[in-house]
Amino acid sequence: MKNTLTFLVLLLCSAASTLDAQQFISREGHVRFFSSTPLEDIEAETVQMSAILDAGKNGGFAFQIPILTFHFDKALMEEHFNESYLESEKHPRATFEGAILNWEELNPTGGWQDVVTSGNLNVHGVSLTRTIQGQMQFNAGSWEIRAQFDVLTADHEIRIPKMVRNQIAESITVYVDAVLTPR
Amino acid sequence: MVRFISPFWLAIVLFGLQSYSSLGQSLLDALDTEPTAHPVTATFKDTRVINMQSNETPGAGVLHFVIAHRFGRINEGAYSLWGLDNASMRMGFDYGLTDRWTLGVGRSTFQKTYEASIKGKLFLQKSDNSVPVSVTYYSVIMANGLRWQEPDRENLFSSRLSYVNQLIVTRKINDRTSLAVVPSFIHRNLVDITSKSHDQWTLGLGGRHKLTHRVSINSEYHFLVNGLDEATTNSLSLGVDIETGGHVFQLHITNSQGMFERAFLTETTGRWLDGDLFFGFNLSRVFS
Repeated sequence: MKNTLTFLVLLLCSAASTLDAQQFISREGHVRFFSSTPLEDIEAETVQMSAILDAGKNGGFAFQIPILTFHFDKALMEEHFNESYLESEKHPRATFEGAILNWEELNPTGGWQDVVTSGNLNVHGVSLTRTIQGQMQFNAGSWEIRAQFDVLTADHEIRIPKMVRNQIAESITVYVDAVLTPR
Repeated sequence: MVRFISPFWLAIVLFGLQSYSSLGQSLLDALDTEPTAHPVTATFKDTRVINMQSNETPGAGVLHFVIAHRFGRINEGAYSLWGLDNASMRMGFDYGLTDRWTLGVGRSTFQKTYEASIKGKLFLQKSDNSVPVSVTYYSVIMANGLRWQEPDRENLFSSRLSYVNQLIVTRKINDRTSLAVVPSFIHRNLVDITSKSHDQWTLGLGGRHKLTHRVSINSEYHFLVNGLDEATTNSLSLGVDIETGGHVFQLHITNSQGMFERAFLTETTGRWLDGDLFFGFNLSRVFS
C-alpha cells in the first residue's frame, strides 16, 4: 500500500516535470519554395518537414527538411536540384535551430500572432544566423505555425551557372506551415 | 529478487529517465530519426550510356527526343574530311507512360530501320543498399526498311524483323561513378547464310564518371558470347556527356556504325587499332 502511494506521488511529480517542459512536434510539416523569373517559374513542395517547439520558458524552436523529398513538376528539374544545386547526397537536410524571441508574450487564446525567431539556418551545408518573422496560434491543443522567408542562393554557396541564371531566381521564397502536436 | 522490481523502484527509474532526457539536448537531436531509404537517382545522365540503353527513363508524361548522328570512317582521311562527309542519323521519340515505363519509336537511316521499344524499371537501387542495384528491362523490335533484294520472289514481312531483349543492371557506386552490366539476347527472323544462328548473346559493360556536375566521361563494351566471325568485332565506345540545362550532348568515338541495338551489338565491323572508327553525337531534349 505504502509502495503504491509512493509510486503514484512520484508518477505525478514526473508528469508535472514533463508538462513544465512540454514539447510540441510535427513530422509532416509542409514546405513550398518558389523561384520566379521572366523566363521560368519553378516550384517544389514537400510534406516531410519535422519541427519541434519547446514550450519551456525560452521558446526553443527547430525544424529539419529532408532535401530529397522535395517534389518538382518536371523530373529533370528535380534531378538538377538534387544533383547540381543542393547536392542532396552530400547535404541531405536543411535545418533551422533557434528560439522564438517573443515567446513569453504569446497569448494561447489570442489567435494568429506575429512571432520573431532567431537562429541558425543551414542550407547546402552553409549555416547563417537569421531572424525570421512568422505567425503562430494555439488551436485545439496544438501550435500551428506559418512563415515565409527568402533564401539567397549565393549566401549558401549554391552555384548557378551563367547559362541558366536568367531561369533561376537569385532569391528563393520559402513558405513553411505545420501543426505541432504535444509530444 | 522479484520484490526489487516493485512499482516504487520503477517510478524512481522512470522519474530519473525523464529528468535526464530533458537535460542538455539540442532540439534538432530530438528530431533526428533514421534517414529513410530512398531510390537512388541520376545513375546516368541520359537514357543511353553511349550506344546502349542506361537504366534511366524520361519519367511520367515526359517526351524525350533524341537526334543522333554517326559520321563516316575516320580513317577515310582528308578527302572525306575524316568521315564528316558521310553522316547517317537516327531520330527517336520516347514517351514516359509512368515514372518507370516508357514506350519508344525510332528510325535510322542505317538500313532504313524502324524501331519500337518498351523499357521499364523493375528494381530501383536504394540508398541504404537494401536493394544494391537497379534492374531495368529493355525490349526492341527492329524492322529493316530496305527494298527487297529479289522483289520477284515471295518475301515475307516477318523476314524484316529482328528483336533484342536486355536486362540493364546498374549501380551508382558514388556520386561520381556508375556502372552497368547488360546481358542481351538478339534474335533475327532471317539470317543471310543458313549456317548462321538466328540467336546471339552479348554481354555489355558500361560506365560513367562525372568530372563536374555537367560533364562526364562514358564508355561501353559489348562482348559477343557466341564468338566473332571474320568481319565482326566487339563494340567499344568512348564518349563525353555534356549537359546544358535542357539538352544533353553526348559526343563519342565508336567502332560501331549502327545506332540501334542489333546493329551495334552484333554487326560492328570497325577495328580500333586500324583507326576504323566513327565519330558521332546524340543530342537529346525533353518536353513535358
